[in-house]
Amino acid sequence: MRSAGLLHALLGALASAMLFAGAPAFAQASEQAVKAAFIPKFVRYIDYPPASQPGAGQPYYLCVIGRDPFGPLLDRAAASEVIDGHPVAVRRFANIDSVAVAGCNIAFIAGATDAATAQMVDGLKRQPVLTITDARNGHARGMIHFTVVDGRVRFLIDQGSATARGLGISSRLLALAVEVKP
Amino acid sequence: MKRFLAQVAAWLRNLPAGITAAFVALIVVASGTTIILQSEASYREQKSEEAQVQADILAASIVAAIDFGDSSAAQEATDAMRVNRQLRGVLIYDRDGRRIAGYRRDGQAPKSTLAESRKVPSPGIVAEAPVMSGGRQIGTVRLAVDRQPLDTRFGRYAVIALLVLMAALVVAVLGAAQAMLRRANRELEARATALGEANAELTHQIAERAKAEDQLRQAQKMQALGQLTGGIAHDFNNLLTVIQGSADMLTRPSIKADRRQRFAEAIVQAATRAAGLTSQLLAFARRQPLQPEVIDVNAMIHGMIDLLDRTLGERFTIKTDLSSEICAVEADRAQLASAVLNIAVNARDAMPDGGTLAIATEKLCSDEGDEILICVTDSGTGMDADTIARAMEPFFTTKGAGKGTGLGLSQVYGFATQSGGDLRIVSTPGEGTTVTIHLPCSNAPLPKAPDPSPGEARAARIGAVLLVEDNEEVGEFAEAMLRELGHSVTWAKSGAEALEAAAERPFDVVLTDVVMPAMSGIELADQLRRLQPELPLVLTTGYSDEIAKSGAGGRPVLLKPYRIETLAKILDDALLGADAGAE
Repeated sequence: MRSAGLLHALLGALASAMLFAGAPAFAQASEQAVKAAFIPKFVRYIDYPPASQPGAGQPYYLCVIGRDPFGPLLDRAAASEVIDGHPVAVRRFANIDSVAVAGCNIAFIAGATDAATAQMVDGLKRQPVLTITDARNGHARGMIHFTVVDGRVRFLIDQGSATARGLGISSRLLALAVEVKP
Repeated sequence: MKRFLAQVAAWLRNLPAGITAAFVALIVVASGTTIILQSEASYREQKSEEAQVQADILAASIVAAIDFGDSSAAQEATDAMRVNRQLRGVLIYDRDGRRIAGYRRDGQAPKSTLAESRKVPSPGIVAEAPVMSGGRQIGTVRLAVDRQPLDTRFGRYAVIALLVLMAALVVAVLGAAQAMLRRANRELEARATALGEANAELTHQIAERAKAEDQLRQAQKMQALGQLTGGIAHDFNNLLTVIQGSADMLTRPSIKADRRQRFAEAIVQAATRAAGLTSQLLAFARRQPLQPEVIDVNAMIHGMIDLLDRTLGERFTIKTDLSSEICAVEADRAQLASAVLNIAVNARDAMPDGGTLAIATEKLCSDEGDEILICVTDSGTGMDADTIARAMEPFFTTKGAGKGTGLGLSQVYGFATQSGGDLRIVSTPGEGTTVTIHLPCSNAPLPKAPDPSPGEARAARIGAVLLVEDNEEVGEFAEAMLRELGHSVTWAKSGAEALEAAAERPFDVVLTDVVMPAMSGIELADQLRRLQPELPLVLTTGYSDEIAKSGAGGRPVLLKPYRIETLAKILDDALLGADAGAE
């Protein structure tokens, strides 16, 4: 508990430092903060099928399914993002069973176990949602899979499964990926 | 616009050619420079646009890299641009101006912030492009492009510069040539003007000189007239003194008969000499009608030797070398004799210490007609060329005032030319002078020697004479002389009166003066010829333009002053002719 309190204090200090900077942290001061800053930005590089694009004034829904490792970091990052006039709204779900999950445009999935994560990623395969996973939580991979290379947050992209859901990924994003799975 | 151009052209034309050329050359150079600068500017602009496009492309391609803080991706993007060798450097800054990625080709350390980089002026062309994401600037791309190297650009502009310089040079050379041409033209004009002025001056001077010469000639004429009148007055005064004195002596009642005779003879001599003088004057004036007759020159000269002997004096020897051929000329006997005498007198005056006078005659045959030459040579002082040239001028004399009239040789010359001949003078100073009279040879038969004249003048035939004379004195004198000769005389004082008288009663002969008012003697003669063609008529005159011009129309002319013997003879001849015609 004591250690958790210390971690929280540390995270809070980092978050405040990031907010102070108000910019993507090239110094990669905090891995979670960087990931939180990255996630809303992915929307900009994704080409959604017309049916799943939000209506006028409607937000893109950013869903955190399962565990939430970011907390307010993600909320703040999403709040500063506006894509073509659409804001980004953060929704949190315990699992994919909720009906509202169908409205997600982008989903960070972190199950209690690797298998749970894989199951949830599979469960979202029927709808055009960009699935994001983190290597720290296991081997299960969404379309974007965070990893750390040389101390920096990088990601792998599974372009094949994205294309299968009707999602287009910008080549500029692909260029930044450590590995692209066709 | 056209008018403006015309005005500019006129203005340029009025400028000196050199300035115009310099002006045009300046314009050419200026436009050449403008073209080069314009070209350079557009080149820069083009390069700048290119750089901007590159920066924009780069900015667009690194949006994701900056979004996701991927500086290595950004660096990869910039490194990809290294293939463009014109890029001096590419730098990417984040939203706070901190450098994320980039390179510099020159190897120097890039500035770590955008603000610092902006402070340093780049030698190349710089372009900046913002990196935008979702309407926000998340970074800046800054790149610098090398300009084309100076030598490449210079090569491009050198052609233009060379052409421009050549054009300017051509214009300058043309201008200089034009200026020189204009200057030459101006000089030529000035010279032409000067020449014109000089010509005008010369013409003026010539006119002035002609005027001066005219004045000089007039002055010479007046001087000559002075000489003449002086000489004549002198001679006449001498003669008049003799006449007046003798006349005075004759009026004295106590004078003896022989002395009376001497005085009368003195008057006759003086009057004869005076008549000779006036005769000379008239011959000189060529207003004396000549009475040509056929003369044997040899005989005439032979007959003159005694006279010449007496005239020249004892210190002179006269030699004659007369041609063996018959030398007949048609001339006025008295004038010819006078001419020879004149030359002889001149010869005498040229030989103050005495000498020899040689007279020769010669017949010269030529294609233009035979000529008789009468050469009179003296051994006197001779004449120089100037004197010879002026010797025949009227009134020219080398003798002192009162000693000569200056008419001698001019009279001879006048006589010779009037007779169809010439006068030549050859002289050497110190050796003597030869004066030659040229006269045309005559083939007419020589007249028989005249009968010895009767001792006392008496008319051979007596008749009724109609005397026409407007002058009272001359008329009275003539009437007296005619009555003395035994004629019956009717004196008419005008032509009209004479015609009346002729109509009233018959006359045997008419003696009429020529110069009369109203009707001249010649007009009267013409009228009488129509009325009475058989009536003989004798003209008398001291001088007459009409007779000198047109002759007497074949009628005999009695020259004034005349002596009683002459009068008697001419009337006798007229009456004789009338009789012969009547028979």
